[in-house]
Amino acid sequence: MKRFLYILGFAAALTLTNTAYSQGFMKKIKDKVNKTISGEAEKKAGLPADTDNSNSNANGSSNSSGKPTNKGGGGLSNTAPPDVKQQMTEAETEHAAKNYSDARYSLQQALMGVEIQLGRQILKSLPTTIVALPVDTLQDRVMSTQWGWSNLSIQRVYKSGDKQLTTTIGNAGIYSGLAMMYFGNASMMEANGDKQNFKQVKVKGNKAIIQYEDSKGYTLIVSIGQASMIVWECINFANEQEVMSAANSFDIDGIKKMLGEQ
Amino acid sequence: MKYAIILITLFTNPFAATAQDFAKAMATAKSAYSAGKLEDTHFALEQAMQEVDLIIGKEVLKLLPQKMDSLATDAKDDNVSSNIGFVGATIHRSYGKGQRKADISIISNSPLIAMMNSYLNSPLLGGMMNDGKTKKVKVQGYKARLEKQDGSAEGKNNYELQIPLGSALITFKVDDCTDTQILGLAETIPLQQIAKLIQ
Repeated sequence: MKRFLYILGFAAALTLTNTAYSQGFMKKIKDKVNKTISGEAEKKAGLPADTDNSNSNANGSSNSSGKPTNKGGGGLSNTAPPDVKQQMTEAETEHAAKNYSDARYSLQQALMGVEIQLGRQILKSLPTTIVALPVDTLQDRVMSTQWGWSNLSIQRVYKSGDKQLTTTIGNAGIYSGLAMMYFGNASMMEANGDKQNFKQVKVKGNKAIIQYEDSKGYTLIVSIGQASMIVWECINFANEQEVMSAANSFDIDGIKKMLGEQ
Repeated sequence: MKYAIILITLFTNPFAATAQDFAKAMATAKSAYSAGKLEDTHFALEQAMQEVDLIIGKEVLKLLPQKMDSLATDAKDDNVSSNIGFVGATIHRSYGKGQRKADISIISNSPLIAMMNSYLNSPLLGGMMNDGKTKKVKVQGYKARLEKQDGSAEGKNNYELQIPLGSALITFKVDDCTDTQILGLAETIPLQQIAKLIQ
């Protein structure tokens, strides 16, 4: 019985991992059946068999327009973040040679390198466990665009079962303005209904807004300094208190300092 | 005598101060980076970039024509400003005084320009945004958007031409003219040389 179960399990795994192959195999069977049926029909009608159609479809790697389907590839290799020192030297050289466009490019690269390093430092400083949720380091992200500061975004995910906390720390100049609008105008926040789904709170003395939606769970946004924000998205958290205690476990002042915010 | 030499140097070489500022910002960035102060490095690099933007702007101003038809440059209005972030630098020059004026402004290194590019390259979006007063044209091989606006008097029109160059946008405006006139004047702007500098 045990052996039978092993074999069954192995067969199931093989089926799952080779879905592409099995799809191709199923397609071949389908084509074969179609070919036979149409062949029979054409014989009955006295028409010649359509060989072109059967040839182009027999191979699973081609689609209807004859363009091959990509079956996989190595993908892109991870590029190391720009070498800040090298980029700074290049910027100086290009500036001296009056190649200003290239000097600007090198400065952008240097800025990107600094932002990525800074993002990694912040990630390192974050706690490894939050309200009993362990960190999922595979989802750690630091994103920086070359437009300077305004698009630095750091993401960390804590997860256990169906409970998840996603933290995003970012300096989003454009969006923070929208959040500031809410912070500055309390009347925009207060709901008149019995159940409030959106309100202002404070996290370690910093102004924040918290929102609840059945489909998304809790979202807590804290504004730090002039243009930075921390966002906590909490899925399957029991209540507001649990969200607040999770947010309070973060060293907000430390993050603020690292981002150079006052 | 010493002060006179310093003053002459400053007036005859307007970029001297900027080049020094660049060197200073780079020195600060390097020392802050060596000390592991990433935020300070970032700030100093931004300063250096602002200096580069200003120099680029001044170089672009040098490339712009001194006259547009009969309209002479209004040197007082020449302006270069640098903003870190979503808009790199803004370069501005105006021609003529009084009722008839022309105006060039160039916004460099702005990702917001992508919007303009999508208008020019997507027939659907271009069609949706078209109110009958705009049309697509080509200036020196570059796609551009020409817009007709109300002029100073009835029967007279102003025209505005927007030419995206990568992440930069050149806006050329001429008062009281015709579309043929503005397109003719736009041909005198050395777009290719400007593109090389600001991209």
